[in-house]
This record gives sequence, C-alpha cells and structure tokens, in this order.
Amino acid sequence: MTPSSNNASQESADDPFLLVHAYCDGELDPANALALERRMADDPRLAAERDRILALRSAMGRIKSHAVAPPALRAKVERAVGMRRAAVRPTWSALAASVVLAAAISVGATWSLLAPGGAVADEVVGNHIRALMATQPYDIASSDQHTVKPWFNGRIPVSPRVVDLASDGFPLVGGRIDVIARTPVPSLVYRARKHLISVTAMQGGGVPSPARTADGYHVIAWSAGGVSYWAVSDVGLDELQKFVKLFQAAPTSE
Amino acid sequence: MSDERTRFANVVLPHLGDAYALARWLARNDSDAEDIVQEACLSAFRGIAGFGNINARGWVLSIVRNTAYTWLKRHRDGKVVAVENVEEVEHARADTSGDWASAPASPEAALIERADAARLEAAIAELPIEFRETLVLREVEGLDYRAIAEITGVPIGTVMSRLARARRRLMAQLGKDAT
Repeated sequence: MTPSSNNASQESADDPFLLVHAYCDGELDPANALALERRMADDPRLAAERDRILALRSAMGRIKSHAVAPPALRAKVERAVGMRRAAVRPTWSALAASVVLAAAISVGATWSLLAPGGAVADEVVGNHIRALMATQPYDIASSDQHTVKPWFNGRIPVSPRVVDLASDGFPLVGGRIDVIARTPVPSLVYRARKHLISVTAMQGGGVPSPARTADGYHVIAWSAGGVSYWAVSDVGLDELQKFVKLFQAAPTSE
Repeated sequence: MSDERTRFANVVLPHLGDAYALARWLARNDSDAEDIVQEACLSAFRGIAGFGNINARGWVLSIVRNTAYTWLKRHRDGKVVAVENVEEVEHARADTSGDWASAPASPEAALIERADAARLEAAIAELPIEFRETLVLREVEGLDYRAIAEITGVPIGTVMSRLARARRRLMAQLGKDAT
C-alpha cells in the first residue's frame, strides 16, 4: 500500500463529509449510521451534502439506459464462443395459445406431469436465466400485487400467492408465465438491490429439497397449502433465505 | 452444446447487459465498448472452468474491467492514467478544492436533481477513469464497497474517497453549467 492510500483511509475515518457518502451508500454499521444521522440533524452542511448525493443519484437514474446489450453484440459473442443463436423467446400470443391448449388437454391432471425435485430445480434455473436474457424479465411489469394477481387469473388455471415485500427491500417488479414439464406455471419477479428473484409456484406440495446452487444461482424450494414454491436468484444465499422467510410470513393479498 | 458453452450461457450471458454498460462508460464509445465486451467474453469463456460458482456478476464485471484497461492501453495509450499515479492525481486535485468542511459554494440539491441528462453524461465521461469506474460500479451496477474494492484492486478506504471525489466533481460541474 502506498503512503497516499493510507492517507485516504485515515482521512475517511475523520472526515464527516466522506462518512455522509458512505452513509448514502449503506456502508455504515447501525451505530455509526445513527451517530451520523444525529450529526446531520445538527449540521445543515452535512444534511445538504446528503441531499446532493441523493439528488445526483436520482439524476443518474435517468441516464442508466444502457443495461441491455445490443442484440448484434449478443449474436457476435455467441458466434465467437461457437454457440448457436439462442432460441427466440416465444411471443406472447404464441405463449397464450399454448397455455390455453395445455389447460384444455390436461384439466385436473396438469400437475402430475411435474418432474421430480432435481429436474424441476434445473428448469426453474433455466427459466430464470432465460428471463434475465430477454428484453424484460417479466410478461407484465407492475409493482402492484393487485395488478399482477388478476393478470395471472386470466391466463392460467391457478393464480399464485402474491405478497408485498417492498418495505423489506424486495419490491415486486412483475410476473411472467414459465413452462415446467410442458406445464404453464406462474412466476413472480422481485428485485433485490440490482438482482432479481424469481418465485415459481406449482400445484402439489411435498417436493421441498435442500437449497441447491448451480452456476452461481441458488434455488430454495418449500411447500405450503398444497402448492410448492421455488425461489431462484444469484443474490447471496443468506439474502435469498431472508427473502424466503419474509415471503412465507407475509400476509397474502386477496 | 458442450459443457463449457452451457456454463458460459448460464454464467456470463445473463450479465451481458451489465458488462456492456460498464464497458461503455469506461471506453466512452459504443463500438469500442462492443469490442471490449466481446474480448472479455472470450476471456471468460476460456476461463470458465476457473469460475468458483460465487457471484457470477462480479466475476464477469471484473473481467470486463481488466479487459477494458488492457484494451484502452493498447488502443489509446496515454489517455489512460497509470494506476500507480492515480493517488497523486487524486490528492493534487483534491487539494485545489480545499478542505471538505469548507467546500466552496456547492450547488443546491434541487439544481442537481434537475440536471440535464446529456450534461450529466458528459460530466461523467470527463472524470478520470479511476473515479469514473468507481462511480459507475456503485451507481450503475449497484455494487457495494467491498465488491468494488475487489474488482478495482484498491483498499475500501480508497473506494470511499474516490466515490466522494467523483460525486463532488459532478456536483461542482452541474452547478457551473447552470450559471
């Protein structure tokens, strides 16, 4: 370490303005955050710095429009590593038609098609990855559980349990229909900081298996009320576990 | 598909958008960003066996970041500040704005909030690359200090001071533009 970088750490410990930045980034432990909140309440210069940081963040939010790679770049990369062009995500109308068809031919027997735990986990991860790669990770974008739930009602036989976890740091961002063992199933999409969590619901309980990890994605399964749930994400395992606990404990919207 | 290709599709491709965003901010040019991402993806593909199943996104971003530095050095030598000198640069520049506590006339938050997107984008593009990458990893990619420190290879204290200085410069710039 160079002497100057020592200075940088030294100075950060003493400089309240630097601490305001760390505070706005959620990097202070609760005791230091509390102490700084008191100082900001007493010192308008510190409070003004906080307001400027948040204002800058909000202004930057308006220019973050480049998180989607150009399709030509994706194709180039896939060719470069010798992959075939990835399958195109089915259009909504085609998907809707297949949903109707599947529902029509499999009344009552739909859920018995489900593969055993390990294979379902693979499909859940596959669906999540495909969603991340699509233009949007959901078919309906909404943070309102009262919009998402009825959207499913019109499309699949059983609408999933939708809970509001926004105040716990996991806002709902939308819903989509995935296909597992040729059966259309509802998936909810929640945001965890910059990551997404997909929760897929399937009729039929009793499949829970231990949390598993594949290619950096964690999967946690549980069942409740005759429905099995599969949560998948690349957030840390402890954060996904926290999410699952909150999801299980949250009151259901009607 | 081979195992490597399946793995690549699962580990790297979901983060292609984030990779492109980072490369674009580092290169400040769309077509160079595409070249950097493509090169980084090839490195990731070759090294996929070494990926330890933890934090695919951080792994991909750090490959993109390192590829961008090598690429910029090769194609635009001289415009990239050598990493060894950056702390001196930071201190020299910080000194001109004086003590934090007596920071001169910072603009009102409302003025920053209203900043024109194109102006803000230009102000970010003008930041020295070490400040810019730290800011982008934090505000665009949403990484925490520890992850940024790992990717950029500097202590967490340096991440904190670079971030504060990057923001300070943007604030000052936006205040200047408005007058």
